[in-house]
Amino acid sequence: MPFALEFENISKEYRRFTGARIAALESFSLQVHKGEIFGFLGPNGAGKTTAIHLAMGFMRATSGKGRMLDKPFGHAPTRRRVGFLAENVALYARPAEQLVRFYGGLNGMSGSLLKKRAGEMLEWVGLSQEARRSVGRFSRGMVQRVGLAQALVNDPDLLILDEPTSALDPLARVHVRELLLRMRESGKTVFLSSHLLSEVELVCDRVAILKKGRLVALGKTSELLQSGDKSIIVARGVPATAFPDATLENGVVRFAVPTVSQRSALEQVWSLGGQVISVNPEHRSLEEIFLQLTRTSGERNGSA
Amino acid sequence: MRAVGLIAINFVREQRWPILVLMIWVVLLAILGLVGSVRNDVGFMLFTFKQLGVYGVAFAIFFGASAIHNERKTRRILAVLSKGVSRSQYISGLLIGIMIAVAIFSISMGVTGTWVLAGPGKPAHIWDLIACLMLACVLSASVAVLFSTILNPLFATLATAITLGVPAVATLQFGSHWGRAIPAYSLLDQLLQFSFERRSTTPLGLMVLAFIEAILLWLAASWIFSRRDVAVSVD
Repeated sequence: MPFALEFENISKEYRRFTGARIAALESFSLQVHKGEIFGFLGPNGAGKTTAIHLAMGFMRATSGKGRMLDKPFGHAPTRRRVGFLAENVALYARPAEQLVRFYGGLNGMSGSLLKKRAGEMLEWVGLSQEARRSVGRFSRGMVQRVGLAQALVNDPDLLILDEPTSALDPLARVHVRELLLRMRESGKTVFLSSHLLSEVELVCDRVAILKKGRLVALGKTSELLQSGDKSIIVARGVPATAFPDATLENGVVRFAVPTVSQRSALEQVWSLGGQVISVNPEHRSLEEIFLQLTRTSGERNGSA
Repeated sequence: MRAVGLIAINFVREQRWPILVLMIWVVLLAILGLVGSVRNDVGFMLFTFKQLGVYGVAFAIFFGASAIHNERKTRRILAVLSKGVSRSQYISGLLIGIMIAVAIFSISMGVTGTWVLAGPGKPAHIWDLIACLMLACVLSASVAVLFSTILNPLFATLATAITLGVPAVATLQFGSHWGRAIPAYSLLDQLLQFSFERRSTTPLGLMVLAFIEAILLWLAASWIFSRRDVAVSVD
């Protein structure tokens, strides 16, 4: 199956003025399937933006190769099918509609189609009333919305977003989330780099976590969230003091046990004359997983 | 081609203030032309006219040396290069933008010069001189753009000055054939050496050579720029 985005054993080193080399990515491999929303996570300096910039052809890999929509990274005509929003997007100071049309024009669009799309996108990002105002006078959030409009003007097959909602208010974030889901419904691919883990958790089909230029986690969001090594047991008719850290509410005791000790905990409930109501794997938030993976030193390389 | 045109027009738009500053000198020439006593001073008027030509070349170098750096520093280059625009198209857009700026200036200078110099004896081939000036500007800008792909504006300007200055000094010291190496100075010199008394011929050979060199420099700049990382800090 062809991938929307594919990094194949890519390494990228920056060279300092002194000649010292800094590895931003090391043997990085990743495949993003067509039609999915892919979350790309990692702490500051992990190499996320470097990976995105390599894909966009802004820089060249030190070693390895990659493909975007079945063409090698840096293939200009392919970028006509891609929408990109950079982190801290910088745009020319000119009227918003003119600007969106300028970027659409760079993608080969013209005439009434471009005018229509530019108008629609500005309306979609809630700036149709400001279409004739210069972007130079916009707030950061408004500039980011214009950035989104220019990324979407060409109706891209692949949308690459680097921190798209960092300057947006909660309402606009919901709007972006709806857009991403709508894009997936129409078979488009979204590659989303974000620090807003709750947002990623809500919309992404798969996520990858990067740390110091290496992939430390990759998988379906739902599986990652269930990948805890604990089970939550809910029981009735047992004293809460019988289990460490158990909570009692409305006569129901709730406690977590390591999955390997699950059987003995259940037997303990029964031996005390209690009744087991439910046993479920512990669901962790993406934030917990993220913090655990990026704080520990264990790293693995891989792809899925 | 549409993308190249858009980048070129965008460049002119972004550089509108420096272009306006350049145009002030043309307006000044026109104002001098309105003052009868000054206009009758042929030597002064011609000197001012020639001076504008030097400013044109200086600005062309300034435009060329700073174009890429400014876009990278503001990170606005990312939104442009994220579209279906190749690096060579981007460089072409910048160079055509500089050519438009130079053309606006040179043509205004030609029109004003034709009028203010009409009194003492209209130089019949003023537009040949303007064509020489435009080619000198384009060639100088091409050298500057080439250096700007690898150097910051200050060093790119210095490197351009040395590259254009060495043939100029060699021409003055050892003869005009040295000026053919990079004929920016030789072309500008056509304007600087102009006098009403001396009839000079149009240096078609130099003009063709300058045009070919500008194309070669554009190709070299495109080749180098397509191998450069644009998304890293430029400071």
